[in-house]
Amino acid sequence: MSIPVLICDDSSFARKQVQRAMPPDWDVEITFASNGEEALAAIKAGRGEVVFLDLTMPVMDGYQTLERIKEQDLPAMVIVISGDIQPEAVARVKRMGAIDFIKKPVDATSLKNVLAAYGLYTE
Amino acid sequence: MTAATEKHLDEELRDVLQELSNVAMGRAADLLARLLENYVILPIPVVNLLERAELNMALSSLEEVKSVSAVCQGFVGSRIAGEALIIFNDTSFNDIAELTNFAGEITPQIELELLMDIANILIGACLKGLAEQLDVSFSQGQPVLLGQHLSLRDLVTDQAGNWQRALTIEIPYRLEGRNVDCDLLLLFTEDSLKVLEAKIEYMME
Repeated sequence: MSIPVLICDDSSFARKQVQRAMPPDWDVEITFASNGEEALAAIKAGRGEVVFLDLTMPVMDGYQTLERIKEQDLPAMVIVISGDIQPEAVARVKRMGAIDFIKKPVDATSLKNVLAAYGLYTE
Repeated sequence: MTAATEKHLDEELRDVLQELSNVAMGRAADLLARLLENYVILPIPVVNLLERAELNMALSSLEEVKSVSAVCQGFVGSRIAGEALIIFNDTSFNDIAELTNFAGEITPQIELELLMDIANILIGACLKGLAEQLDVSFSQGQPVLLGQHLSLRDLVTDQAGNWQRALTIEIPYRLEGRNVDCDLLLLFTEDSLKVLEAKIEYMME
């Protein structure tokens, strides 16, 4: 069965970059969101078992989104994909429940390695 | 796309430039955070196509600021040219001196040194980050002090350079828990815009 994957970023270019970096044979059903509010709605609708989440976004940013996911105990495995590569940013999102962090611009190899590490994708 | 002849920036081009800037500013912020051992709050970069008379609009985040100090540095390469400006709210220097463990009196000379150090880091890293993603290379000119303790209005009026319209990218950096405001403003010439468009179109394929 396909995995529901949610790509959340305010930039449509960044959303496309994530989509292009995903393994081509990964059996997924993709949904897009452009801010945290849209992401939460999609997760609640069962469309975000795996979430690729940006941090810097209008309306609701990635940190706030992680907070809500934790508060409401929503069933989502969140992988943050961000240009904020400060060690403090990485540590924060992991404390807030993100399973991993990938720096932007995302590339296929690091994305595949993270997915493989959590058993979300096998070659 | 014919944004170079239009008044408004093509939405797709704006989106891509904003995302490339986001990645570039993140690298610059990482260096600054390591230098000052303080988390840097990253904003959403603001990309605009502005007439010279509208330049103050690109500095909206410094609107309320009474006194600023600024450095500019030209860059050129791969048929792209522009200027990078670093504009500090003058109230930032106390906290920056503290974070760099500077204990003496903060004279204008010390402010100048701190300004130049941070300008070097932010401008250098940001331009390098943009260039890498666009697969171009820039060479940078000497940094030039535009002035210390100026009003933003004087800075914009006196030092806006010899251009009519420019692509502007504004990145307002803030330090968490500290009173440090500094804006990085990148201005690209109108001619550069066509080159950027072509590069970006190529990236999208």
